[in-house]
Amino acid sequence: MNVDLNRNIFQDTWFLTGFLLAAVFTITILVGPMLAPFDPWDMSFTPISPPCAKHLLGINDGGQDIFSELLFAIRNTVFFGLTSGLVALGVGVIIGLVAGWFGGLIDMILMRLADVLLAIPAIMILILTAALFRPSPFMLSLILAGLMWPTISKTIRAQTLAKRECLHVKAAARIGGGNWYIIRRHLMPEMFPLYLIGFASKTRMAMFMEASLAFLGLFDPTRKSLGLMIAYAVKYYYMDIWWNWLFPPILCLSLLIMTLTFLAISLEKILDPRLKSVELLSG
Amino acid sequence: MNLNIKNLSVIYQNGSHSIQALEEVSIDIGHGKCVALVGESGSGKTTLGKACMGLLPSNASWKGRVNINGQQLENLDESVLNEMRWDKIAMVFQNRAGNLNPVHCIVDQVAEPLIQRGFSSRKQANIKAGKILEQMGVYREYLYRYPHQLSGGQLQRVLLAMAMILDPEIIILDEPTSSLDALSKLFISEIIDQFKSKGKAVLLITHDLEIAAGLADTVHVLYLGRILETLPASDLLLKPLHPYTLALGRSYPTMTTARDLGGIKGDVFYRLVHQHGRHDQDKYRHTHIQVPDSSHKDGHAPPFGCLFQSRCTQAINRCQNENVPLEKIGDHMVRCLRSGIADILSLKGVSKSYGNVPALYPTDLILKCGELFCLIGETGSGKTTLAMILAGMLKQDSGEKTFEGRDMDQWAKQEYQSLARRIGVIYQNPAESISPRFSVFEAVAEPLKIHKKAMSRESIQNGVSRVLARVRLSADPSFLKRYPHELNMGAIQRVCMARALILEPALLVADEPTSSLDPSVQAKVLKLLLDLQIELGLSMFFITHNIGLARKIGDRIGVMLAGRLVEVGPADKILSGPRHPYTQLLINSARGLVKNTFKPGSKEIKPVGCPFVSRCPRHKDLCREKSPEMVDLDYCRVRCHFPLTVDHLYEN
Repeated sequence: MNVDLNRNIFQDTWFLTGFLLAAVFTITILVGPMLAPFDPWDMSFTPISPPCAKHLLGINDGGQDIFSELLFAIRNTVFFGLTSGLVALGVGVIIGLVAGWFGGLIDMILMRLADVLLAIPAIMILILTAALFRPSPFMLSLILAGLMWPTISKTIRAQTLAKRECLHVKAAARIGGGNWYIIRRHLMPEMFPLYLIGFASKTRMAMFMEASLAFLGLFDPTRKSLGLMIAYAVKYYYMDIWWNWLFPPILCLSLLIMTLTFLAISLEKILDPRLKSVELLSG
Repeated sequence: MNLNIKNLSVIYQNGSHSIQALEEVSIDIGHGKCVALVGESGSGKTTLGKACMGLLPSNASWKGRVNINGQQLENLDESVLNEMRWDKIAMVFQNRAGNLNPVHCIVDQVAEPLIQRGFSSRKQANIKAGKILEQMGVYREYLYRYPHQLSGGQLQRVLLAMAMILDPEIIILDEPTSSLDALSKLFISEIIDQFKSKGKAVLLITHDLEIAAGLADTVHVLYLGRILETLPASDLLLKPLHPYTLALGRSYPTMTTARDLGGIKGDVFYRLVHQHGRHDQDKYRHTHIQVPDSSHKDGHAPPFGCLFQSRCTQAINRCQNENVPLEKIGDHMVRCLRSGIADILSLKGVSKSYGNVPALYPTDLILKCGELFCLIGETGSGKTTLAMILAGMLKQDSGEKTFEGRDMDQWAKQEYQSLARRIGVIYQNPAESISPRFSVFEAVAEPLKIHKKAMSRESIQNGVSRVLARVRLSADPSFLKRYPHELNMGAIQRVCMARALILEPALLVADEPTSSLDPSVQAKVLKLLLDLQIELGLSMFFITHNIGLARKIGDRIGVMLAGRLVEVGPADKILSGPRHPYTQLLINSARGLVKNTFKPGSKEIKPVGCPFVSRCPRHKDLCREKSPEMVDLDYCRVRCHFPLTVDHLYEN
């Protein structure tokens, strides 16, 4: 799984597109509040105005600048996704490695737990917790991570089971390397591609989940979120607002998800030798 | 007639320092017996011979008793002693030409004792001398030649004739066969045999171990003036107990061993006796061991403990300060605190099966310290299983394994790391045994890091470069940064070797360690391992398919067949005269003498009977009915109902 990153990866159009989109979004997130011409909570403008030079995307029904709102909403959605993705990855990797390496009873308990979580629909749990306990978005992202790790840990565990039979792992164990040493030095580095792929797919899922929950109105209505913007805009779908109010958050959400999809697909192809095609390498 | 030497100590005075040449040496030679003294030069062999003759130089002082046929040497005055020399006890000196008078022809010199003692006239004496010279193989035409006109072998015969002229009962031969051709050697050994059959007592001083093993009844191994081992001559090359005897045997080129010569680590010493202090001399008098021209400060090596400790590969702390007595072990006498060469690993009834497929039947095996054991056998015979059990990577189903005197399984349970570091493993697939994400440095340093032996980066670096130098790999930073896939197989194999050696294990288990090397690298790597064996006393367990390789490096060879050891023994014994037909088949196929042995069909081996029965040309009904047991047979162990004999060897 050694990859010559410089040569292969930037020749792949999937990766290149994803990378460029990711770069644009990163910049937006980092400097968004500075770019925003107005305070997105400022309700002093004329509601439902079409775009003009001052208000690039016009004004929404609450008298707020849509462009400023959008910049803040992207941030929230991405943060939610990243938190969820990272936590799910961390938990998934650790549980996968532990279950795979130690095996036996530990493996059994952890994997049955994963099976249980896989059987429960995440959206249902989220809707219920959000409705019942009104947790902060951060808490909700953690809850989502707690529901998403099983798929990651299943892949990691499977890979660990394969790797533990590798001679270099056995050799390290024979010379007296401890469990944590072997996990840290021999198993973890071997599975680097799986982390990227797992992280990308989970982040993607979390961002979509955030938008959905916001769309369903399970968040604080004043919070800026792509889902919430869509939800408000949809109420006025009969007016001529779709291209300046409804479309931008939908486009952003789609692009965000596409970014991660592209990255995941290309990394999966490049880092997993079984998917590595000649075309990909040469083209 | 016999010669008894009891507690003989000889010290050569040399200014304020004196050299301890012999210390409490006791030797008995009965009539008709030949006793050989072997050892490196400087071990005091010749001094002993001279002491028996009462010919020690004036600066030598001696203690102890020399009893020649009931007469104490120290009680005899010089004139009686002179009578006895040549008449009762004679010595054939080393340095042939130097012992003959260059201005007299040889027959005169041989006849001289006869004339001097007034036994006969010159004419008769010359006739008798001529006869004896002829008996000793000097041609008649040579009798009136001068020493410088004769070759070395002829001079040796002249000296023998000279010693024999008065027909003494005790003969001391000092290096009678050195620098002689094989035929002359044979001739001289025949003469020595004649002496023995005539009932003479022979003391043979030699460093020719083959002659010693062939001629003598008993061999004394002398080191720095002490006897380290007394053993039956036949065991000298095949079953030595003292590490020194083993090392001597390894250094000696015999016709039968094909193994590369090993040496003994370190140098020969002199033993110097210092006299410190003025009043109470004995209190301050102590013995030092000094390397000639050493940079040691005054040669002050520890004066206590075993003399061989600094060169011994199995020395333990006790060897440094405990007095080592000569201990009786079997028919050997050994001066070693560890009772001779220790066992490093022993298996007792160890067996293993995978599911219900037996891979290893109950096996007994003992590995000795500093030994290189080669395991040969067909593929699928259980070699790797056995090696992995030895290495502690597999757990046996039954039986016990003992490593350095401790039960291995318990040791592993209590403190696994301390056991793991004592055993180095080189795996069959060297490239796979290193993580592809480790650079050379990380791979080699990994065992060190795991064992926390050296925590600072600097000491790890030192350890790595030392071990890389040992396996002849460069330790420059650009090489250390490379990854396994950037190296060739030879380098990877040596990196693996470095990994296995960096913790300085006592045992190296290697599964085909050189299979992927080209012959030139293989030769280098094996040389290096043999050097390590000499230097560190590394014991090695090698699996190989290459019988030629086993022949070159193995001390002992084990042959495996269908999960059983079928033959174990000294390498040269097994290779020159296999006792098991399977071993013979292996060796013959390696020599290209066998054609088409593969029979397609089921490989099923019946639980009873010999596993080789279907392929054995000599099988009888018994072989089908009963599994053969391991039997001891002439230094080997064989699992065969009808082992081959030497006669069978020549049939083929």
